[in-house]
Amino acid sequence: MKGFVLACLFASAISSASQSVLAASDDEKWQILQKAALAAHALSYQGIFVCQSGQQSKSVQIKHFFDGQNEFARNVLLDGSPREVLSQGGDLIIYNPKNEKIVIEKRRGQNMFPAVLPANLAAVKQSYTVRTGDIERVAGREAQILFLEPKDDLRYSYRFWIDTEYGLILKSVMFNSRNEMMDSISFTQLNLVNTVDLDWFKPKIDSKKNYVMEDEVPAQADYNPSPHWMLKQLPAGYRKVDQMLRMVHGKPLPVTHVVFSDGLASVSLFIEPVTNGVKPRAGHSVVGNTSFYSSVAGYLQITVLGEVPEATVAAIANSVVFIK
Amino acid sequence: MTEQISALLDDEIALEDAEHLMAGMQTNGHAGDVWSQYHLIGDVMRGASALSPNFKQNLMAKIDLEPTVLSPNAAWINEPKAFNESDKLNEARNKKQALEEKHKSSATHLPVVWSVAASFAAVMVVGWMVLQTQVGNQAAPAMVAQAALSQEVATLPATSEQGVPAEYLMAHQASAPSASSYYIQSASYTE
Repeated sequence: MKGFVLACLFASAISSASQSVLAASDDEKWQILQKAALAAHALSYQGIFVCQSGQQSKSVQIKHFFDGQNEFARNVLLDGSPREVLSQGGDLIIYNPKNEKIVIEKRRGQNMFPAVLPANLAAVKQSYTVRTGDIERVAGREAQILFLEPKDDLRYSYRFWIDTEYGLILKSVMFNSRNEMMDSISFTQLNLVNTVDLDWFKPKIDSKKNYVMEDEVPAQADYNPSPHWMLKQLPAGYRKVDQMLRMVHGKPLPVTHVVFSDGLASVSLFIEPVTNGVKPRAGHSVVGNTSFYSSVAGYLQITVLGEVPEATVAAIANSVVFIK
Repeated sequence: MTEQISALLDDEIALEDAEHLMAGMQTNGHAGDVWSQYHLIGDVMRGASALSPNFKQNLMAKIDLEPTVLSPNAAWINEPKAFNESDKLNEARNKKQALEEKHKSSATHLPVVWSVAASFAAVMVVGWMVLQTQVGNQAAPAMVAQAALSQEVATLPATSEQGVPAEYLMAHQASAPSASSYYIQSASYTE
């Protein structure tokens, strides 16, 4: 019932916003995005969305439930192996079929579709401008298009189709500077639900498979400044949001992993000592929506990658200064 | 069988009616696996801290490696103080032995199932203590890490043929996932 009341609140708020959208000020456009960020968490809905990245495309069934305090969601891959992602608040449990086993992975969740926008848009406002587009139909529903365009060439642009009644993001597409689609997620079917039970909030169990926890060692938060390196002049708009020590497959010692974000896009920086007898790696490439850059600073191997333009990963790699 | 195990877990079958299930899980390896997997799934859903993979096997192997200590005091004198873990393991193992002795003496008038359950409980005590020591012991996670690594190296190529090293891409997606990375992964990630 609470979900339904919330839905009505959103419905009235969004429809009044969309009526005057042509004359809307920037503030009102940001308001629509702010409401979309909230609606993804505070509404109860179910549907199917299609996720497309590079050459691959997958359909996903989603059920999301908010009881006024807690959020539950179950995402089931409909194509290929039946991977399931169950989330409760920010905690994710992924049931990942691998060969004859089902590997259970635990993660902290963020920006899961349709909740791709951060609750706080302040960082996004600094690096992107907002512009409204046409009204289009997505998943049988009326949607207002909003463009988020980068103020520089250090990030990609985004286009969001926002349900004029529910306020939810129905479709999200990322474009590079040549206006080529980098990845896209779009509902093909969506309904609000008025459910109270949680019977559905469990994985479908395959009794023929073995369930095992992944043997990944969790990353440990690392807030100590290193005596061996420092960061100078990060690319505009990017902030350090996390730093940890983690095991990377094939590396004997933990690697420092620093995460940067401009509010929408994330970049990972890995720092490790150059291994004796192993040729340090230097190079760059772009595969699908991911840019990659590796270089050497003093005795340190630097590796940077993220869903951002190549200039950004290069700038972050070059911001690492080796301290003798 | 599987459905009955599930029912037993959900308290839909009374313990006293489950003797055949207990016996089945003892003798039938698959039924035993089903039992522990259902517990694992339940633990994860409830957010309980999960034990490491193959916890039971690793634990039993470690116990097998331990020399038989007849006097509890001998363990304290012979083992160096730094190996805190072994001390506790010994202590716990002695407790287990003591428990088993106890059960032997009373086994005459108790059904077999109960002695099985009791030694299972004793293993749980040992397990819990080992888990506690591992959490407190700095060296233990590193050992686990090494073991995990040596397994993974064989299955994962050092770099994907496309030019983005898969191991870094996996680490990036674990801590800074994009909305599509939950559903679409590089070929090397999904193996």
